[in-house]
Amino acid sequence: MVLATVFESGLSMEYYLILSSILFVIGVVGVLTRKNAIILLMCVELMLNAVNLLLVAFSNYHGKADAQIFVFFIMVVAAAEATVGLSILVLMYRNARSVDIGLFNKLKG
Amino acid sequence: MDALIVIFLSGLISLFIAFAKKPVLVLLTSTVGLLIAIALFIAQWNNPVTLFSYEGLEFTNTALLYSIAASIFALFSILIGYNSYKKQPEHTGEYIGLLMFSLVGAVCMLAFTDMFMFFLGLEILSLPIYVLAGTNKKDLRSSEASLKYFLMGAFATGVLLFGIAWTYGATGTFKIQEIGDFIYNNQNTGIAHSSILYVGVLLIMASFLFKVGAAPFHFWSPDVYEGSPNEVTGFMAAVVKLGAFGAFMKIFGIAFPDLHAFWAPALVIVALITIFLGNLSALNQIHFKRLLAYSSITHVGYALLAVLTLSSNSIENLWIYLFGYGFSIIALVAIAKLLNDDEDKISAFKGLAKRNPFLATVAVLALLSLAGVPPLIGFFGKYLVFADAFTQYPLIVIIALANSGIGIYYYLKTVINIFQKEEIEESKIEVPAIHIVVLSICAIAILVGGLVLSQYKLL
Repeated sequence: MVLATVFESGLSMEYYLILSSILFVIGVVGVLTRKNAIILLMCVELMLNAVNLLLVAFSNYHGKADAQIFVFFIMVVAAAEATVGLSILVLMYRNARSVDIGLFNKLKG
Repeated sequence: MDALIVIFLSGLISLFIAFAKKPVLVLLTSTVGLLIAIALFIAQWNNPVTLFSYEGLEFTNTALLYSIAASIFALFSILIGYNSYKKQPEHTGEYIGLLMFSLVGAVCMLAFTDMFMFFLGLEILSLPIYVLAGTNKKDLRSSEASLKYFLMGAFATGVLLFGIAWTYGATGTFKIQEIGDFIYNNQNTGIAHSSILYVGVLLIMASFLFKVGAAPFHFWSPDVYEGSPNEVTGFMAAVVKLGAFGAFMKIFGIAFPDLHAFWAPALVIVALITIFLGNLSALNQIHFKRLLAYSSITHVGYALLAVLTLSSNSIENLWIYLFGYGFSIIALVAIAKLLNDDEDKISAFKGLAKRNPFLATVAVLALLSLAGVPPLIGFFGKYLVFADAFTQYPLIVIIALANSGIGIYYYLKTVINIFQKEEIEESKIEVPAIHIVVLSICAIAILVGGLVLSQYKLL
């Protein structure tokens, strides 16, 4: 409902598209350039939240609720993914004493 | 639908039975569960069942065919881990349970009718595998494979969701059939060719290419294949590829066939790069699992031709291709595990023909099937896919055929190793009874599977 009033007050669709695209690109650039695995995880979360914003905006635009339900699914899955990811990070830290992905070079060829 | 519940429940029961500290019991539970599931899948043939009130899952014959293959490969991946369960009995329950849950995801990914179930299936498939790749907890390489796979997979998920969101924005629906209808009905107007929809299609395609490991998104796959335990490598190569390609075919065959002119050129380039890159990188490999990983990249390139063609037979051809590929790769990782070589060198195969003729026979069959030598199943898969694609893309099929020739070189290199005499006389290899059964089934399937399957029209 809140979003609907915002739409009515004149904030057009494009702003949401541009904002979520910018958030998504920040996430992608972060994943591609940063070296710390925890920051990589945060950037992935940023990407997912950009998607959530986009879905809610489109849901409002189409006047349907299904995309908002999808957002709940994405949030649940993102939580599960963060859990698994952090436990893998702990495992990695125990073995390598670091979470810097630049040090991961045991596998190559 | 019953089969899905049976798989999930037997995974859950495996987790609890593990408290009894008897790995054989866990193995038995999961095996029985999977056999029942396969039987239930077969019983549903020609009798489509939908699941959930909004029909999120639909078990058509196509979905059943792919699900049966995925269940068989999951069963084999569990069985060939027998040695590791005996060595480290404490984590058998979690290990098998996670494999079963992953299979549930694969089945969801093959039977979905809308993006909800597809996304959930993909995540249920992927999350357990991120963990499984790191099963060897003390081994740095295994942890590294796990982390790399996780980061790449999470990134691909983000890209996929962004693509789904744009597609939803353009079409206003998540159901793939409705997306397809929308594009078909509006194909002569600008609505079906808006940049919003095009962005969505490209992003979804990119994430699929990530999942199946096609160039230029392949860089994670050799590392992950090498670092993971062998059984998990087999599972990733066989089941995950089946799930990902099944979903790829479904989304692009049902939702976006009318945009073929838009996405096909991009996929053609990707397929060509994938085929060349996989082959050329495989030539100099000395590690066996890395060789398998690069050869799997090449195989993904061939399989992409079926997605490109999108004729009425493509789904079945792709299935036969992946079916044959799965048997070969599971047999090979099982044998590589029995060789008990931590370095994972191809030279570990030296003298295998002397040390254990049975293993040598199966290995040679599997390698020749991957190379595409008739009358093995790999040949039929390749032949069907290529013949189907030839009318539309003659040039690409010819390039792919030439690459098959390059491929024979590195497969035969391993075969030569098997028949070579080794310098140091080593003891004979002990093969557990379970492995003999699994490898015999693989060998029989590789030998006669192609001849039998090409006789019938399954779908």
